[in-house]
Amino acid sequence: MSPRRSLFPALLFVGFLTATLQADTRPAPPPLPESQAAVKRVEPPLHPQIDQLIEAATPNFRKIAAPLCSDAEFFRRAHLDLTGSVPTGEETRAFLADQTPTQEKRAALIELLLASPRYARRMQYVLDEMIMERRAGSNVPDAEWQNWLRSSIRENRRWDAVVAEILAADGAEDAKRPAAKFYLDRDFEVDVVTRDVGRIFLGVDLECAQCHDHPSIDGYLQRHYYGISAFLKRSYVFTDAKSKKKMLGEKAEGDVKFTSVFTSVEGMTNPRLLDLPQIPDPDGVERAYLVKPESKARGIPQYSRRLQLPLSMISDENVDFRRNIVNRLWAVMMGRGLVEPLDVRHADNPATHPEVLSLLADELLRHEYDVRWLIRELALTKTYQRGRAAGDSNDEAHSYAGAYLKALSPEQLAWSVMDVTGVSTQTLAAKKAELLKKDPKSGEAKTADPLWQEETLHDALKANVDQFVTTFAGQGGQKTGFDSSADQALFLLNGALIQKWLVPANGNLTDRLRKLEASAEFAEELYMSVLNRAPGDEEVAAVTSYLEAVSDRDAATQELTWALMTSAEFRFNH
Amino acid sequence: MSNRPAPPPLPDDPIDVKQSHVVAEFQHDVALTTCRLDPQARFAFAGAEDFNVYRWSVDGGNESKTVFSGHESWVRCLDFSPDGERLYTAGYDDRIGVWDTAAAKPKPLEMIEAHKGWVRWVKVNRDGTRLVSCGNDNLIKLWSLPDGKLIQEFRGHERHPYAVLFHPDEQRLASFDLMGNIKEWDIASGKELRSFEAKFMWGFDQKFRADMGGARDMIFSEDGKTLIVAGLTNVTNAFAGVHNPMILLFNWENFEPQHKLTDASYKGMSWGVRTHPEGFLAAVGAPQGGSKGAIWFWKPGEEKPFHTVTLSHCGRGLDMTADGRRIAVAQFDGLLKIYQLTRKS
Amino acid sequence: MRRDTGCHRIDHALSRRGFLAGTAAGAAAMGGVLTPAQADQLQSGQKRLLQVFLQGGFSQFETFDPKPGTKYGGPFRQIETSVPGMMICELLPHMATRMHKLSIIRSINLRTNDHGKGRLFMEKGRNVGEFPYVGSVAAKYLAPPNPTLPTYLHITTRGLSDNTNAFLEAQHAQMKLPGTKAPDNLARPDKLTVEAARRRADFRAQLNERFSGGKGQSAFTETFDSSFEMAERLMSQKGLLEAEPSGKDLERYGSHPFGRRCVLARNLLQNGATVVKVTHHGYDTHAENFNFHLEQLGEFDQTFCMLLDDIEATGMLDSTLIMVYSEFGRTPKINQRYGRDHWGASVSMALGGAGIKPGVTVGATNKEGTEVSDREVDAGHLFHTYFSALGIDPTADHNVPGKSIPIGDPAKSSIKELLV
Repeated sequence: MSPRRSLFPALLFVGFLTATLQADTRPAPPPLPESQAAVKRVEPPLHPQIDQLIEAATPNFRKIAAPLCSDAEFFRRAHLDLTGSVPTGEETRAFLADQTPTQEKRAALIELLLASPRYARRMQYVLDEMIMERRAGSNVPDAEWQNWLRSSIRENRRWDAVVAEILAADGAEDAKRPAAKFYLDRDFEVDVVTRDVGRIFLGVDLECAQCHDHPSIDGYLQRHYYGISAFLKRSYVFTDAKSKKKMLGEKAEGDVKFTSVFTSVEGMTNPRLLDLPQIPDPDGVERAYLVKPESKARGIPQYSRRLQLPLSMISDENVDFRRNIVNRLWAVMMGRGLVEPLDVRHADNPATHPEVLSLLADELLRHEYDVRWLIRELALTKTYQRGRAAGDSNDEAHSYAGAYLKALSPEQLAWSVMDVTGVSTQTLAAKKAELLKKDPKSGEAKTADPLWQEETLHDALKANVDQFVTTFAGQGGQKTGFDSSADQALFLLNGALIQKWLVPANGNLTDRLRKLEASAEFAEELYMSVLNRAPGDEEVAAVTSYLEAVSDRDAATQELTWALMTSAEFRFNH
Repeated sequence: MSNRPAPPPLPDDPIDVKQSHVVAEFQHDVALTTCRLDPQARFAFAGAEDFNVYRWSVDGGNESKTVFSGHESWVRCLDFSPDGERLYTAGYDDRIGVWDTAAAKPKPLEMIEAHKGWVRWVKVNRDGTRLVSCGNDNLIKLWSLPDGKLIQEFRGHERHPYAVLFHPDEQRLASFDLMGNIKEWDIASGKELRSFEAKFMWGFDQKFRADMGGARDMIFSEDGKTLIVAGLTNVTNAFAGVHNPMILLFNWENFEPQHKLTDASYKGMSWGVRTHPEGFLAAVGAPQGGSKGAIWFWKPGEEKPFHTVTLSHCGRGLDMTADGRRIAVAQFDGLLKIYQLTRKS
Repeated sequence: MRRDTGCHRIDHALSRRGFLAGTAAGAAAMGGVLTPAQADQLQSGQKRLLQVFLQGGFSQFETFDPKPGTKYGGPFRQIETSVPGMMICELLPHMATRMHKLSIIRSINLRTNDHGKGRLFMEKGRNVGEFPYVGSVAAKYLAPPNPTLPTYLHITTRGLSDNTNAFLEAQHAQMKLPGTKAPDNLARPDKLTVEAARRRADFRAQLNERFSGGKGQSAFTETFDSSFEMAERLMSQKGLLEAEPSGKDLERYGSHPFGRRCVLARNLLQNGATVVKVTHHGYDTHAENFNFHLEQLGEFDQTFCMLLDDIEATGMLDSTLIMVYSEFGRTPKINQRYGRDHWGASVSMALGGAGIKPGVTVGATNKEGTEVSDREVDAGHLFHTYFSALGIDPTADHNVPGKSIPIGDPAKSSIKELLV
């Protein structure tokens, strides 16, 4: 048993928890004997191991596997996945012209992108959707929560520490309030929180198990549902009389009992996560309070069941926690989870590649929940870098013989459109000029700072991103797959925003394009800027025909740009 | 208010609202909808959600309970002939009931098919020769008494009128509808004279798409200079009943609001209001949730009531004797209580 | 909280073993998959669905299951209808003269008092799991081969964005129309000529063909293209969608938003729509239940009857299933605000049109309306009934590749006395 589970007196316990979370590092393991340490140093990196397992899982893999994607494809794909937007035409040409050997070039690109401030923003979007599932809720303002998430990513905080902070949060202290959004903007409805703790952090949707053992999923039992509920049931929403803010209080009593609607058998459980050991209350803490719950005071028990949740969640024994996050991060990078749907993992719906899932989970633990490391390793795999599958070879067997299409998220779409059309460049230039005017002395340095650039551009264009989110965001949380509605198509077809950005002006994309006399040059600049690749001969011919057929060069420019920007090739990450 | 003989004052037992106490309590087993005292204050009447009207003797016990059965729906408004002989009931079964107030075994003397839809209000004039009613057909109707013949219809309200009164000068009527429209009518011609939109006593709930408002009680001051309306204001959630109570004092000559008495901290509304001979108002309140009904004693123009009596449940109606010594209050839990507004004797 | 015990989630079917069994063998056990031939048959005898959703939980006492003069009956009376012996609340006088075209169910027990759960149960026919709504299922199996409109249109302004199509194709998800105004972005941009719009769309189509040609995951591109197709359909119906109702229509239907939405619903149904749902707000009357039902049903009664009349007049009643329903009913007990609260234990609805025997009353509640006393059913049974009436076998599996999911909850069945 981990030392954290021992029966400390309550105060020491709470303090210990706080200290542990703030430390963000594990106590150093005991020093290894010389020979083991030596073995440790020459361990192979993760990514080839993944590829080996993927290959081994499917007979004939080598035969059916698509070749690795082209440099152009990789350049665009990596930019989208790691920075949330497409690269520029200029950057693309430079990458393609670079003579460095492919593997080295790609690895260097990955490092560059991971170090960019845009990586933190991209992961903020991903994790926000994963955890808050696009819920509206204003107990914790979105901006505060998102800033906290983003800085956690930028600092590459251990994932287990981030989750522990979320699950330990009560919203009482302003400084720690952002992390409480998970609880508070679900109004801490116990059923909803119980289910979402299971779905989002453990990869299991226990909704059915609220009423009975799942009729056909052997692994989902009623006691699983109530085991999670038992951590939460004593907590409640308390509104601070002065600040009017909602936060969590907790009672020091209350047990969780359940009856099956099928068998009428009664059960009782202490807090426990799935099949981990139960966590009984220590002796003598029933009805023992640090602060008694009253109308004007939120209850703080001597022993908090809720604070056991983060500890249990991130404990080494909790394999499901690791498996869930690696599955979700795999889905982000590869376009499909090893377990699908992402929150329905059980014995009869196992991972398509169980060894890969186990490997990723074990390695994440060994690497101290380093998310950036894992993303890097995934990006370095051949699996990630494969070209698109030919025909339907991928569909049934999920062998990863070819890369999956990934629909751009609303945020990726928004930024890609703004970057491609030139909105971003122009906005940034304007903001730079503004700052330089106000602060000529330190302005230069400031405006050259990539972090300043990212934050400034984000704040300036957030309203546009929000419009895309409103139009393109699907229901609920992280999902793979693709859904499309007529509303979205109308937005792309006729929406004023897009049409405005296509109007040639001030050196934006269409402005540059319309000035190119030669249609071959036009086609090259168009394809490179919008689709990040050179056009094939047929494509150049098609563009040429179009330009010849349409006398109004401005109109033709906007139409062609529009067509590429609303095409499937742009809409998907491939 | 109709003519009532004023009893002689008792100098050694003056009105002292702060010492108000219950002198009689009557119990019914179904929620009450309204209450009235007859002009001689012999009886206390209450409408109930079981379609009946109940009468108790003020000085009797609960055993004096007598059922007035005959309506086929709720009664939320009662009035009397000036001599107290006749009781008139406004029923949600579209009818006006006419009864012998003091009958030992009450049966309706008449059931007038008065409106197409609920009859929400009945009022008898000063000399007992006329009765005015309003209903869910958006009409105000004037009837002659005692024959119950329809004399005049008054059209103009576009939504349900909730209450209608004779102005003390007997030439005009005053009415108040769901949307907060206050209208003045000329009795002789049937024409609308003036109209005012008291929008603050109405709200449209955007979410649930429904109007909420209306006079829950209405009286004229003795001199006819002020129209006094009990109802609600600040509608934020009509379907959950989130609003505040309001007593409006409306200057009838200038045709504009004079005082708007409300309590922003009390979620609920007012179902009854009376003026006391000494010049203050008594109003009854129903909370949105919970049981803390209230009687507010308020001096017009002041920000807060000068005294509040907490009721054991939601107040549904209030009436006052002519001498102002006693009030009757009907509650949601079926209780009808008589308070004396003096110290305990 | 008690839940219905019929628990059939998508994950049952997604179990790897079940996955592979979702072929002939598995299908046969469940009643077969709809064959293309069956689908064709359905499409040639074009059917459609009209749903009128009274949001918030309308009171069964004040509509289809009146209990006048009883403890909880409230102030309203009941009136006779054109069906001998069938009495409804006096608040629905227009419906009363048309009840011989409709049937009512009084014995629905949803076992929930929660808005979300009640609504989802009534829409999905199952009370747990991700399943498509009635509207999406009907859209999929009833839509003609080349629909001129999105197949499932929901005329409402409220923000709820539901996942209505679950595992069915994106094109069968509900398309929301505000109803009193047309969707955004229906108009081609000013500076874009018809010719320009067409040629850029053609160019785009070529790009997509080249992109998907021969490569995997064509489903994504298909879905994407389908949405543009839907958009074009909507744009082509701009006139219909933006049309102001005629004076006559406003007179008959009422000029309030619900009236306007029902005029649009009629126009859509008469112009090739497959599934149209109209929502009327609001019925969640925790306060002033009687005043508010007076108001809301006053709006609903005449408007709905005009819509019913017009559907019948154009010969579409036999081929249009009509539902009038809510997420639950209201409490017998009248609270201190003259309101009624949530009540899922004895709920009513009206059903008529295609495949439904009119003039039937299914089930009953006890004298005081505090519980179902006869023929208890739930939303699962209703779901089966809708599709049986429409000629779609609810015991068959959905026509979805690689999945074996029955259309209706296998633990339930149709309410046979409602079916022609």
